[in-house]
Amino acid sequence: MMRVIVVGGPGLPDQVAVALRNTGEEVTVIEGDPLAQSTLEAAGPLRADVLAVLTQSDETNLVVSLLAKRRFQIPRIVARVNDPANEALFDWSWGVDALVSPATALVSMIRAVAGRDTAAQTVLASGD
Amino acid sequence: MHVVIIGCGRTGSALAARLDAEGDQINIIEIDSAAKARLPAGFGGAFLPGNAVHTHMLEAAGILHAEALVALTASDSVNIVAARVARHSYRVPRVLARLHDPAHAQAYRELGIGTVGSVQTTVNRVVQLLHHQTLEPQQSFGNGETLLVRSRIPSYLGGRQVAELNVPDEIGVVELSRHGHSRIPEPTTPLEPGDVLSFVVAAGSISRLHSFIGGEWS
Repeated sequence: MMRVIVVGGPGLPDQVAVALRNTGEEVTVIEGDPLAQSTLEAAGPLRADVLAVLTQSDETNLVVSLLAKRRFQIPRIVARVNDPANEALFDWSWGVDALVSPATALVSMIRAVAGRDTAAQTVLASGD
Repeated sequence: MHVVIIGCGRTGSALAARLDAEGDQINIIEIDSAAKARLPAGFGGAFLPGNAVHTHMLEAAGILHAEALVALTASDSVNIVAARVARHSYRVPRVLARLHDPAHAQAYRELGIGTVGSVQTTVNRVVQLLHHQTLEPQQSFGNGETLLVRSRIPSYLGGRQVAELNVPDEIGVVELSRHGHSRIPEPTTPLEPGDVLSFVVAAGSISRLHSFIGGEWS
């Protein structure tokens, strides 16, 4: 079992939290202002294996990732990119270990479904 | 001076207009293209509609040659990202940001981003004007937690030592002006009527300083 903290709220973050719990992981969801110092502290960040920063603001996701990495040395931080144009910012210099870009993932899948993206087709096929 | 301003709201547009009038070269980035209307007719700088954290926008605004960047949007996250990118990726020598929500002050501090115009600064200022009108701060530091205050001492403090006015973590005497000459006093320096002292004071200790030197002063 891994300990996951999810930053976000209604919509995608909550859905991710529920799905992770269903696979047996220990999930804490943070709501409220993630830039305020006490918010993240309340979720037990020192015990977390993964922080998933999934708000709808790319700037907030960057700042929360960086502060969390600096303050709590969370081993793996995954951040959501809402605007694909911001993808280049999401790297180690902001504390981000991995990014998830729903728009880019969807584009790749759509291309795969249309037979234009063989790499993603392989992924889709292996997912069956 | 070439200045990039992020955010063309009330503060951003007023700052842009003022610096433009003073002869600085201003490029202002704003997400809402309608905000251009806030700039005065004859504004000599450039208004660039777009997202200020996008590299191509910053570069279109001349960030590579900018001497300063000021982030004044209503989003602390946007201000922090723009300020940090300017400082770390583009080595802009002077970077300032507006602190919008006091709960985010710690985030700016941890990332070493200087802030202006916080709610705390305004609150401190209003309290001073209401309660301590005569203690006019010369300068405030950080988000207004610490102030530099200058005051003539009341004559009854003549003969007392500088150290008697120092309170650890609250009040420190940092300068003494006497007969037109300024110096850094020793703790044991005796005060004379007519001395003007500079104090570094914690914002919450202004009333304590007031009680020390209140009464007759200029």
